[in-house]
Amino acid sequence: MSMKKELKVVGKSVERTDARPKVTGKARYAADLVAPGMLYGKLLRSPFAHAKIVSIDTSKAKALPGVLGVITGRDFPGVPFGTRPDTRDTLPMPITKVHHFGEGVAAVAAVDEDTAEEALDLIKVEYEELPVVLTAEDALKPDAPLVNEFMKSNICYTSDFLFGDVEKGFKEADYVREETFSSQRVTVGFVEPHACLAEVDNSGRILLQGSKQSPYITWRHMCRALDIPLSDMRIVNPFVGGAFSGKHDPMDVDFAAVKLAQVTGRPVKIVLNYDEVLAAYRQRNAMNATIRLGLKKDGRISALYAENILEGGPISGIGPFNIYYFGAFLNIPYKIPAIEYHGKLVYGNRAPCGTVRGQEIVLAQFCLDSILHMAGEDLGIDPVDIRRINAVTDNWTCANGIKCDVSGLPECIDKMAAKIGWKESRVNKSVGRGIGFSCASHPSGPRLGGHFGSAVVIKLMEEGKVIVTHGGTEIGQGANTVFCQMAAEELGIPYEDVMQGASDSDTTIFDSGMFGDRCTYWDGNATIAAARDLKKQLAEIIAPELKAMPEEIEFADYRVFVRDNPERGMDFQRAVRRAYYEKGAPLYGRGYWAATDIDLVDWKTGKGNLAHGLDFIATGIELEVDRQTGKVSLLRCVHGDDAGQPINPAMLEGQVNGGSAHMTGHCLWEESLYDEKGRALNYTWRDYKQPTAVDVPEYFVEHVHTYDPYGPFGAKGAGEASSCSTLAAIANGIYDAVGVRIKDLPITPEKILATLNERKRDEQGGSTGFASGGADEAQ
Amino acid sequence: MKRDITLKVNGIKYNLNIETHRTLVEVLRETLGLTGTKKSCNEGECGTCTVLIDNKPAASCLVLAVEAQGREIITIEGLAEGTKLHPLQEAFVKHMAIQCGFCTPGMVMAAKAFLDENPSPTAAEIRKAISGNLCRCTGYQQIVDAVMAASAALRGEA
Amino acid sequence: MFIRRLPKFEYHTPSTVREAIAIAGKHNGDAKFIAGGTDLLLAMKKREIMPAHLVSLNGIGELRYLTVLANGKPSEEAGGLKIGALTTLAQLLASDAVKKDYAPLWDAVDVMASAQIRSLATIGGNLCSAVPSADTAPPLLAMDASIEIVNHSGKRTIPLNEFFNGPRQTTLGHKEILTHILIPKMDSSSGGCYLKLMRRNAMDLALVAVAVCLKLDETKKVCKEARIALGAVAPTPIRVPEAEAMLAGKKIDEMQITEAAKIAGMQCHPISDIRATLEYRCSMVEVLTKRAIERTLQRIQA
Repeated sequence: MSMKKELKVVGKSVERTDARPKVTGKARYAADLVAPGMLYGKLLRSPFAHAKIVSIDTSKAKALPGVLGVITGRDFPGVPFGTRPDTRDTLPMPITKVHHFGEGVAAVAAVDEDTAEEALDLIKVEYEELPVVLTAEDALKPDAPLVNEFMKSNICYTSDFLFGDVEKGFKEADYVREETFSSQRVTVGFVEPHACLAEVDNSGRILLQGSKQSPYITWRHMCRALDIPLSDMRIVNPFVGGAFSGKHDPMDVDFAAVKLAQVTGRPVKIVLNYDEVLAAYRQRNAMNATIRLGLKKDGRISALYAENILEGGPISGIGPFNIYYFGAFLNIPYKIPAIEYHGKLVYGNRAPCGTVRGQEIVLAQFCLDSILHMAGEDLGIDPVDIRRINAVTDNWTCANGIKCDVSGLPECIDKMAAKIGWKESRVNKSVGRGIGFSCASHPSGPRLGGHFGSAVVIKLMEEGKVIVTHGGTEIGQGANTVFCQMAAEELGIPYEDVMQGASDSDTTIFDSGMFGDRCTYWDGNATIAAARDLKKQLAEIIAPELKAMPEEIEFADYRVFVRDNPERGMDFQRAVRRAYYEKGAPLYGRGYWAATDIDLVDWKTGKGNLAHGLDFIATGIELEVDRQTGKVSLLRCVHGDDAGQPINPAMLEGQVNGGSAHMTGHCLWEESLYDEKGRALNYTWRDYKQPTAVDVPEYFVEHVHTYDPYGPFGAKGAGEASSCSTLAAIANGIYDAVGVRIKDLPITPEKILATLNERKRDEQGGSTGFASGGADEAQ
Repeated sequence: MKRDITLKVNGIKYNLNIETHRTLVEVLRETLGLTGTKKSCNEGECGTCTVLIDNKPAASCLVLAVEAQGREIITIEGLAEGTKLHPLQEAFVKHMAIQCGFCTPGMVMAAKAFLDENPSPTAAEIRKAISGNLCRCTGYQQIVDAVMAASAALRGEA
Repeated sequence: MFIRRLPKFEYHTPSTVREAIAIAGKHNGDAKFIAGGTDLLLAMKKREIMPAHLVSLNGIGELRYLTVLANGKPSEEAGGLKIGALTTLAQLLASDAVKKDYAPLWDAVDVMASAQIRSLATIGGNLCSAVPSADTAPPLLAMDASIEIVNHSGKRTIPLNEFFNGPRQTTLGHKEILTHILIPKMDSSSGGCYLKLMRRNAMDLALVAVAVCLKLDETKKVCKEARIALGAVAPTPIRVPEAEAMLAGKKIDEMQITEAAKIAGMQCHPISDIRATLEYRCSMVEVLTKRAIERTLQRIQA
């Protein structure tokens, strides 16, 4: 915990540590790496979504000149890995059957890419097609084919909980509404395709350099599935071209490169083309949910009941957390005294899911904020007011035990509504225009059990500069910059004197990775601890010369001095030289942090305070609907954002805007499509469309500064909440514009138009079917 | 089949003997080691491989290297003069228009070609000009802001 | 199944049309002409086609230009625009003549692909690829364009609406080259526009596209001639004569426009695919046709 004080580096929009290498093309990503003698790997992919592998004949491919190695799933030990001990259901590459279209069944390494591609055509795989499971409904049929061979059922994981008196909550409600919602399969959408370079040294030790989001997770899973000790593998992260939760676990690409490197004795690089990513790699779970909400006349929520089924493809990945998260985060950002939740994650034969930016809070919040809008309208309560009435405030403990220390949400709502001009928009509302709202909260990194700590080492160099090395991962979000800022602030040295160390499992330490807004908070606290450790060591060396006790030594403005007598001190650089040259002491500050003071979640009951530092957002989106084509144009988007003390405000804005823009595609048109046999239909970017610069609204971020008591410098995690608040804001905005409520995503022009036409037909037929206050009535 | 060609990249001439089925992005990245130009979709849809050919933006994954012979090719590596960044690059740095950075080289090159033709653009025109470059990180706002700021700088107004 | 690197081929660089045709003739069906390459190279990477020979047209400078004609044949008595087939979309977009006097084509190029594709892709290539959603086709059809085709025995000029045979199929022989596009000049009482509906606002194929050209009388109230062409709603880009007949020779009013649009919506025969359903496409043809006629009238009357 830090005391609030005047900040010199933290809170300033300093230049990113990686901006210059990235903007000049010097940054090396996995695909850019080369090694002497390097071979090129390619994967042969299944044309079927579900089929028995009868045989694989690789002899012709092996015989092709220039081919040095061909492998299949049988070349691995057959040990499955998984996020939880009870969900180890994933093999490096399939052995007995393929589980989804495009799954890698064999891999080759050759002297060049042309030869490797040619070799793929020479591999003969005999398949026996199996019936496919595509949807959650398919998966749960009594006679459904079993998708995952390590599990006894298509139900991968369940999450059920009951908090508070739900029955009483509904009984005492003045208004109850129940709605069903659904969400489609979407891709993750990072721009850099999966890529890695694997090498094996003389002792057999593996070096993997890949585009990984959480190298620690990849490392542990890979060593388990390769059946080797952790010390037999080193993992180094180059620059990573975005991940958004799609690059946590090891992929067949990583395993294949390692195995081919072992087989050939040469470095092997595999770089995917993006169509392979769209066809066969991580997507967001498909959702089918039913939500029942009870409210008092004054708009206060009295109870919530939710059922949810996620379909997540043939492996569990981090799915067990997803199904828990959906229910857990229905508890927040609104005050809900009683909640009952029943969630199921099921297997299917579409591409594997992990999660995507904002995790399953994105889907939960779409349901919750949509139904809240409907309820508010029926109760005659303004959409801003209904959120204000229910918004979580300081020191609020949710029904499930999540504890909110500091909430800027009420202020977020007020600032956002003022900036977007909600009140003004109600006067002379123009045809087809609307504004929609949603709020959201996101934890600053959950404590999920297992390995969950963060650690940082700061090396003090003899000229007085420092190198910060952490286990969190820079995937574009700005983690490196944030830690360098914090180290500079804590050490009282210029930001320019702090450098970023490489992400390397040999030197970088224990860290469960980059997800769930956790890095700033966890690694940030560890950075502060490491800086303090370093200061303590330096103070002990310098104190005698300054005729003071080590505890009296301060570090600020590039100086080291006695707290009560700042005149008595010396330059930071001089102090460092004293340590190095007079004591022969190279200094390393060491720090770690874990939220050990909060409860571990009880997975049976769902009870637990899984995270500190809940960050909040209130989002308003102004849009226009073309009532003849159904097309939605997003005009302006305002986020009121509480990330505690922003460490780097401009960088934070980029995170907030980016998360929101990401979800505009999910909301309006992105969808990974499959035919009836589970074959992917739109797996090129020509057919799968992500938002471009002309598709997203103009963004504004209103910072709401709060001070989190546990966060580094009062900061909270940041960036993912805007992903969570965007879907419902658009859906509610469309409703405000044209009175059309679409609950099954994506909200395509066809769906909007169908509803508008239906209404037109009803009106022409003299019916009064459409009664609530859409745009037409509000003219 | 191989051919002798001379490629002029960032003002430097390279005599190469390359196979005719090599695309320009492959030759830039694999033969010349200019890995600043990225490759993702290989179908002209993502914009990461954007380079300038005779000052026009081009998807280098859809250009045969042999067809780029005799033309002036500029890649992201050719924009800065030593450590002095091009005003567009400076603006991207200053306006936090970079996150993961994978789209950045292509985005900068597309913006460069655009500002050369339209030195005083509106925000809407900038958005349109970079609509062939996908970015999943930023939401584009700060990229648009950066290009706008760079245009002012290039006009000598900032 | 997945995009790969390019397959191997022999590459030829003729410097004249005649030479190009001779090379193609020699390889009898196993050669493809390459212009911008943006469609062809992708089809090759997907292994949809694997020609043994690529004959590059890019050394033929004579085909990369556009000229405003004072007179000439066949449509040039009244002037017009002659476009070399290798003219890039970027060149068209930068042309004031195209923007001012051949607005439907400019509208189309403006919403086509991205800057990095427009600088490569050619108008000839867009027509020869002959996809149902080819953006340059509807405006050229609506402007009554013709095309010049050269083979070893000489050249012929045909109306563009005799060019398309089916999806990715044209009447062009494999030893023939489309060399020029000729657009008759529109007078001051004529005008047109092109409207395209996409899922995204950029870099997308048309779900539905409509081009309209109208010629009005001196009062600018009565329509003397109307041409309406549609993209992405039939196996080829098409004209809709029944809808045109609703306008031609009549004083145009709201009812006429609505009626013509309705007929256009009924005359198209799209398919349902991953991008849109048949029903949506038909109803969007109606909406866009109406809007295109209205915008055309505004342009002429302005």
